[in-house]
Amino acid sequence: MQAETMESLAGKLVGIVGVPPLAVIRQLLAAGAEMVDLDEPQVRKSIDLTASYLPRVYCAVLRTVVLNAMHLDLEAIFIDVGPGKCDCALHVSRILQRFCPKVVTTRNTDSTGFGYSTCRCRMDLAEKFACITAHVRKETAPPPRPSCTPTAGFWGVPPRDFSILSLFPETTHVYGWTRCMENKTPADLDLEAHFNPSVPTVFFAQAFCAKTALARHLADLHPCSLYLDCDVTASGSVRAKIEAFLELSGAGKTD
Amino acid sequence: MVTTRSLGQNFRADLATGHNARRRCRRYVNELTALARGGRELIGKDDFVLLDCGSRDIKYVRFANGSLADMGWNAECGASMGFTIELLSRYYDLDYATLPVPEQGFAVTCGVLGMSHIFDAVVNGMPEGEAVARFVRGIALNGYRFAGSPETLYLSGGLCDNPLFVASFPCNLITLGRFVLLTGLQTYLTSDRERT
Repeated sequence: MQAETMESLAGKLVGIVGVPPLAVIRQLLAAGAEMVDLDEPQVRKSIDLTASYLPRVYCAVLRTVVLNAMHLDLEAIFIDVGPGKCDCALHVSRILQRFCPKVVTTRNTDSTGFGYSTCRCRMDLAEKFACITAHVRKETAPPPRPSCTPTAGFWGVPPRDFSILSLFPETTHVYGWTRCMENKTPADLDLEAHFNPSVPTVFFAQAFCAKTALARHLADLHPCSLYLDCDVTASGSVRAKIEAFLELSGAGKTD
Repeated sequence: MVTTRSLGQNFRADLATGHNARRRCRRYVNELTALARGGRELIGKDDFVLLDCGSRDIKYVRFANGSLADMGWNAECGASMGFTIELLSRYYDLDYATLPVPEQGFAVTCGVLGMSHIFDAVVNGMPEGEAVARFVRGIALNGYRFAGSPETLYLSGGLCDNPLFVASFPCNLITLGRFVLLTGLQTYLTSDRERT
C-alpha cells in the first residue's frame, strides 16, 4: 500500500486477518491506525448472519472474520492469504470487499524469529493465548518469560471458543501455528509441525479447516495424543474428551 | 436394576456417569474416563483397544504399554449411533438375531445419506432385511475404523447384544457387555475406600 494511503488510515479502524507481515504492522502503527483482530469475536451478533455470504459448513474463524466485517465500520482490512494463513482466506478476501472499500491481501513469509517463551511459560492457558494474539497487532513479541516443565501440550491455532482452554493446566506448552504466531513467522511449517513426544498433547484444529489434516497426521505420530476438532463453540463431548484425556494421561489440573 | 425413567425428579445418585447423569448426581465421572477405567479393570492387559457403541454416541480408548495412547468420542454423527439401528428395526419390524451378515455393507459416511441407501436399495428390489443389514454392517465398519482398525477389538455397550452388529466387524471382536462404565465407576469407589 502506498505511503499516502497508509497515512489516510490515521485514527481509523483497520481490520487485520491472520498475521500480516511485520513491515505492514509497522506501517499501520506508524500511521496511527487503530487495529482490530478480525479473527476474534468482536461483535455480539449471531454467526448465522454470515450464511448469506459463506457456507454454514465453513471454518468458524473465517465466518467470524466476515461477521466482524459486516458489523464494524472498517476503513481497511489487511488479510494475510499466503502460506502463513490458508487458501480459504484468499477466497474470503474477495467476499470481504462487499463490506469494506479497501481490502489489502498480504503474503507473510517473514523468517526472523522473535522467540516463543510465552508458549512455554507457566500461565493460565487462556491468558497465554490472549497475550500471543494481542501481540499480532504489535511490532514486538511478548516479553520473555521463564520456561516451565510441561505436563500437557496444546497444538494448533487459537480456538474460536477460548472456553476449552480453561480445562488445561497452567503448565501446558503451546505448539503449532500459535507458536508460529508468537514467533512472528506464521509460514514456518517446520516450527508448526514441531511437538514434544514426551508430553501428552491435544492436537486441535477448527472444524472444516485445512489444518485438520496436519493435526490428525501429527496426532498419529505422537505416542500420547488426542486429535480434536471443534466448530463455533465447544460441545459437551469436546469438553469431556479434553477432560478425560488430561485425566487419563496424568496431565490434568492439579490445583 | 432400576430404569432411570422410573426414578423421581428429585433423585440424586451418589456417583454417576453417562448421558444426562451430570445433573442427576452428587459426583459425576466423565464417560470416557469411566470407560477407560472399566476397560482396564475387565481386560487386564497393557495393550488394548476398547470401543463403546452406545445409543447416542461411540467412543474408544487405546492403551499401549499400560498407558493411554489415543482416544475419541463421536456424539454428533448419526452414522455411528445405536439409536439409528434401533429405529430401523422398529420401522421395518426386523429381528437382528435372525438377519444374516451380508457380504458387503453400505458406505455409511453420513447417517442420513446412509439411510437413503436403504430406501434406494429397497426401491430397487432388495429385501428390506438385507438392506438394513448392509446399513448395520456399514455402521460397524465405521466404528472399527473410528477405533483405528485394530486386529483385536473389545466392544462394550448395548450393541453387544445385537448379533448382526457384532458379527459385522472385520476383526477379532471380544464383547464385554453393556456395564463396562459401571465397572469404571466401581474403581472410583474402590480408590475412595483405599484412601480412607
